[in-house]
Order: sequence, then structure tokens, then C-alpha cells
Amino acid sequence: MIESIMLVDDEDLFHLVFEDACSLLDITLSLEALNSADEAEKMFKNWFENGPIKERPECVFVDLNIIGSTFDGIELIRRINFQYGDNVVIGIISSSSEVSEQSKAVQAGAQFWIVKSDEIEPRLEEFLKDYDGYKNKTATFKVYK
Amino acid sequence: MTKLKLHKETIKQLLELKKKRRINLEGNILKLIDTTGDVELKKYVDDAINEGKAKQRQRLDITKKIQSQNKELLVSQQENEELMSQLQTALDDAEKAKDAALLDLDFLQKKTQFQLIQTIVRISLTVIIGVGISTTVLYLFALSVDRDTELIGNTWSNMFGILLTNAFSIIGTIMGVKYANKDSK
Repeated sequence: MIESIMLVDDEDLFHLVFEDACSLLDITLSLEALNSADEAEKMFKNWFENGPIKERPECVFVDLNIIGSTFDGIELIRRINFQYGDNVVIGIISSSSEVSEQSKAVQAGAQFWIVKSDEIEPRLEEFLKDYDGYKNKTATFKVYK
Repeated sequence: MTKLKLHKETIKQLLELKKKRRINLEGNILKLIDTTGDVELKKYVDDAINEGKAKQRQRLDITKKIQSQNKELLVSQQENEELMSQLQTALDDAEKAKDAALLDLDFLQKKTQFQLIQTIVRISLTVIIGVGISTTVLYLFALSVDRDTELIGNTWSNMFGILLTNAFSIIGTIMGVKYANKDSK
């Protein structure tokens, strides 16, 4: 089980789907869902500058296009990895599966890419099986579709 | 993860609450309760978790359905916008076709007018040339038979002057009309 998860996605309905799927699959006990990349960045910046670092989520799922944010999901991943201390399992959860975007995400330090669909649970289950590899930084980038 | 150890009295109250009012603990807190050694509490927690999962499954299905309906709505909205844009393009094309047709009609009308002018001019020139020829023939005849030619001579020269003036005036008009039509194209 993952200690704590943060979801950054502008779609409120997906927050509910993700929350229920995580609970049904016993993925985590602590889930925080945010609507904006700016809000997530602010929190990571605060943890990085003021601490406590242990309050940071263990794993972050970021939507690719976050409507209402000043930058996209890939940029958020880049900032968390390169500006705010890294050390979290982080990746994209998006309905898009564009290869060009995936390579940009890899360059920004994304570890996984989950394609959103009506059947999200099997993908999350598969992700959970690989989770230790992501945590130890031994697993390579993988697309779940 | 640290497990929560509940007091015996609390467990008793929880079990009674479930029995009397069918009220359970809900959510992830259940997964943190330590049930070791207490069969009754373990059953309570398992039942509550299963009940919660059933509710969550139901909610997840409904949420997914709403999400999929929202997506369909979004797609149909996009299709509508596309149709509206196609309609606007068709309307613009129709407007352009109408303008072209009006231009053609105008050209056709001008062409008809020009043909009418041509006919009038042709008839006028025929009449002028005919009158000129017939007067000249009459004058030549009068000269050849040695009759009094003073009256017919004056008449011929006056008529010829008038006919020539009119002929040039008509030719000038034709050239003017032709020039104007050329410009308007």
C-alpha cells in the first residue's frame, strides 16, 4: 500500500473516480486531490523551503493538461523533480497517449504514464505491482493502457 | 502503519450502535483498526469494510457513467460547433454564388442592351446609306438627262451633310458604348 498519494487534475469527477478506485483496490489510505498545478507547485515549494519534508506525498499523479493552471502537468513534474527536491514517485495520468508528449514527460522525470479510461482499476492494479520498482528508482518508464 | 487499538467499552458501544441503529464506522479509518484477538470486532470491521466497498463500487459506477455522459456531451457539442462552422461556410459560399450570379445577370443585361443598340445602329446606317445612295442616284440621273439640278443639288448637299453628321454621331455613340462596357468588365 502507498503511504500517501496526491492527484493533480482539473476534472472533479475524476477525483471521485480515482478516490473510489484507490479505496476499492486498497492502494492508499491518504489521498489528496488538487485542481491546479499552481496549487501543487505552491505546496511542494513550501515543503522544500520550509519543511517538514515528510509531509510530502509518496506518489504524485499529474494530469497532462490542467485547465485553469498557468503550466501543464509535464512542467509540474519537471519543477518537482528539478527544483523542489525530487524524491517522490511521479507520473502522468491522462486520456492522451501521444508518444511525443510521453517523451517530453520522460525528459521531465516522469516514471509512468497511465492512460485514463472507463476501466482505470486494472491499470492501477498493474501500477501497484510495479510500484516498488518506481520507489527504488529501478523500474523504467512504463505506459499503462 | 500504526494500528488503532480500541477500548473494550468503545467496541461494545460500536457493536450496540450497529445492532440498534444500523450505524457503522465508514471509510479508511476501518483499515487502521487493530482487530487481533477480538472475533466480534473483526466481523464488525470486515462487514463495515465490505458494506463500504459495495457503496463505493455503486458510486464509482455512477460517477463513471456521469463522466462518460459528460464526454459524450462534450463530443456532441464539438460536433455541433463543427456543423455550425460548416453551415457558415456553406452560407458564405451561397452568398458568393449569389454575387457571381448577379454579376452574370448584369453582364447578360449589358450584352442584350449592346445587341439592341447594334441592331438599331445597323438599321439606322442602312437607312442613312440607302437614302444617301438613292438621293445621289436621283441627282446623277438629273445631271445626265440635263434637267434643272439646282433644287435637287441643294437638297443632295444638305441631306448628305445631315446624313454624314448623323452617321458620325452614331459611330461615336457605338464607340462610346463599347469603351464603357470594356471598362466595366
